[in-house]
Amino acid sequence: MTDIIKRPGGAMANRPLHFFWLADCSGSMYGEKIEQLNYAIRNAIKPMQDVAADNPNAQVMVRAIKFSTGAQWHIAQATPVEDFKWDNLTANGVTDMGLALQLAAEQLDVTQMPERCLPPVLVLVSDGQPTDDFNDGLNTLMNKPWGRKSVRIGIGIGQDADLEVLQKFIGNPEIRPLQANNAEDLVKYIRWASTVVLQAASAPASQVKDQVSGGVVPIPQAPPASDIDADDVW
Amino acid sequence: MSTLLHSKQVIYGDLTQQAYTIDAFLGAGTQGEVYRAHASGQEVAIKWYFPHYIQNDVQLRQRLENAIRKGSPDNNFLWPLELVILPNSTGFGYVMPLRPANFKSIVDLMRRRAEPSFRALISACLQLSESFLQLHAKGLCYRDINFNNVFFDPNTGDILICDNDNVDVNGATGAINGTPRFMAPELVRGDAPPNTESDLFSLSILLFYMLMLHHPLEGKKEAAIRCFDQSAMNKLYGTEPLFIFNPQDDSNAPVAGLHDNALVYWALYPQFLRDVFTRAFTSGINDQHGRIRENEWRVLLINLRDSLFYCGCGAQNFYDGDNIKTCWACNKPLVAPPRLRINNALVMLNYDTLLYPHHIDQTQKFNFSLPQATVSRHPQDPSRWGLQNISDSAWTITLADNSVKMVDPQRSVNLAAGISINFGNTSAEICV
Repeated sequence: MTDIIKRPGGAMANRPLHFFWLADCSGSMYGEKIEQLNYAIRNAIKPMQDVAADNPNAQVMVRAIKFSTGAQWHIAQATPVEDFKWDNLTANGVTDMGLALQLAAEQLDVTQMPERCLPPVLVLVSDGQPTDDFNDGLNTLMNKPWGRKSVRIGIGIGQDADLEVLQKFIGNPEIRPLQANNAEDLVKYIRWASTVVLQAASAPASQVKDQVSGGVVPIPQAPPASDIDADDVW
Repeated sequence: MSTLLHSKQVIYGDLTQQAYTIDAFLGAGTQGEVYRAHASGQEVAIKWYFPHYIQNDVQLRQRLENAIRKGSPDNNFLWPLELVILPNSTGFGYVMPLRPANFKSIVDLMRRRAEPSFRALISACLQLSESFLQLHAKGLCYRDINFNNVFFDPNTGDILICDNDNVDVNGATGAINGTPRFMAPELVRGDAPPNTESDLFSLSILLFYMLMLHHPLEGKKEAAIRCFDQSAMNKLYGTEPLFIFNPQDDSNAPVAGLHDNALVYWALYPQFLRDVFTRAFTSGINDQHGRIRENEWRVLLINLRDSLFYCGCGAQNFYDGDNIKTCWACNKPLVAPPRLRINNALVMLNYDTLLYPHHIDQTQKFNFSLPQATVSRHPQDPSRWGLQNISDSAWTITLADNSVKMVDPQRSVNLAAGISINFGNTSAEICV
C-alpha cells in the first residue's frame, strides 16, 4: 500500500520566466567593484533559488550579459535557476551599454521566446555612463513586445553611476534606480532584484498599500540604503 | 547576509518582559522577517517587521494588540502570543508558536513535493473550513488567504494557518488587500475593500487549488494570453472572471495539454462537489451573497471524505452512484464496499472506516476524536465483516425480516443488505 500513487495528475501548470543580468564590466569596475558584484550575485543565488522553489507559478530561467568594449553573453543558455551558477566577471574596457540592450533584445524577439511566458525581468548593473549609443539599444529593446512587457530594474554602483540613464532603462517613474554606495547595499539590492522582483513578476505577494502599481507588475518597495560605513565607501 | 536581527540577540516580550533569544533566520516576506527563537527552554517563532513596513501600516501595532487580547480562534492558528520589542528601538514584532517540520506548504502540494492521500487532503480542506468559520464567527476577517499562509501535514491533513497579523475586525480599514489569484473580483477591480465575503471567495479558490491543483478561472482565456502581466491578471481575475467549467459558457474551458489537472480531477470527484464549485464560481463570482459559506463546505467535505473507497490496487476512489466505474489508477472496474445510508448521505464502509458522533446523532458537533463505530471482522470468520458499536449506548437493528435485535457496546452487526440501525436519534440503512 505504500508504493501506490496517491493522486493522479501532475504539478500545477506554470509559465517560464526569463531573467537577465546585464553587468557592466568596463575598466572603471576593475578591482573591488567587480569583485563585490561577483560576490553579491553569488550571494543571491540561493535566495533566488528558494524564492523560485516556493513559487509554483513560474519556471525561472536565467541568462547573463556582460558589457565593456562590446557586449557578450556571460550565460548564453537560458539556465533553469536550480542549475544557475555564477562564473566571476573581470573588468576592462569601455561601457557599451547600448550593445548589451541590443543583445538582450535579440533574445526577446517573438521568434526566440516561448509563446506563453511571464514578464521577463532585466536587471542592469552599472557604475558609469554608456560610451555607445544607449538610446539606440533601448529603442531596439522597446520595439520588441517582450522588451516592452519586461520588468526592468537598474542598480547604480557608486557616485558616478548615471542614474538618468538607468531611469530611462527602467521606463517607469514609479520605480527609481537603486544607488549602491557600499558593498552591503549592493548585496541587498542584488538580492532584492533576484528575489522580491522575481516573485512580483510571477506571483505578486500580498498587495499592500505602499507598492508601485503603474508598471507591468506591482513591484514592492526596495529596501532602504544602509547608513554609510566610512570603511565601506567606494 | 544582512538581517534585521542576528543570532543570539535578545528581544523582550512587551507583556511578560520575557527574554527571547534569537536562534536562526527562517525566512522573509514583504512585511518582515521570521526567526526561530527560544525562551525558558521553549522554541517559538518571532516575526520582526521591516521599519518601512511599520511606517506604512499605521494600524499594525493596535491590530496585533487586539489579536493578542482576543486570542486564537482555534488551535490551528499560529496566533500572535505577545509583542516583542528591543530597548531603545522603534522596531517591534510578535511571538507565535513554531511550525513543526512535518507541516508542508501548499506550494509543496502544488509542486507535488508533498503527496497526501485524498483522505488526508480532504481532511486538510475540512480543517481549513472549520478554522475560518471559527475566525469569521468571532467577527474577524483574515484578508489574505493564499498559498503561503497555510501549512498542512500530508499524513494526517492537520493544518496550521500563519500570518495572522493582517486579521482585523470585519470592515476595518487595513493595509493588506489580498494576494493576486486569490482576491475576489470586486477587490481586484478596486470596487470594495476586503471583508468576510471576499475571504469566502479566497477560501473557495484555495480549496479548488488544493483539490484540483489548478486555478478555477484559468482556461482558454489564460491560454490566449502571451505575456501574463498585471493587465492580464486584472482581466482574468477582476473584470472578466469566468469559471472554466461554467455550464452556460464554455469560452473559458480548460485546454488539454495546458490545463490537464483541471480536466483530470474534475471528472474524478462526485457530482455534489462539482455542483458546489460551480455555484462558488458562477453565482458566487460577482455576487457576494452567492459565496459558499464554511458550514456548507464543512458538510460537503465530510460527505466527500465519507464517499472514498479503495480499489483493489490500493488507490482511493470516490463513490458517485453509477457514475464512476473504473479506478483512476489501474483502470480496472471498481467494486464498491457496503455503504451506510444516513438520511441523504452515504458513508462507504471500508476496512478502516470509523463513524463519529455526528454520523450517529445529527444534533452532535463534528468531533473526530471520539469514534462511535468501526468496521470490524468476525473473530472466527475473517470473511464476515461487521460494524462494531464502540459507543456507550446500545443500538437497535431491524433485519430484512422485520425482526429486531440489540447491538450492545463492543458487539458488531453484520454488513448485510437491508439491515437498518437505529443509533438512538438517527437511523441508517446498510446497502450493498
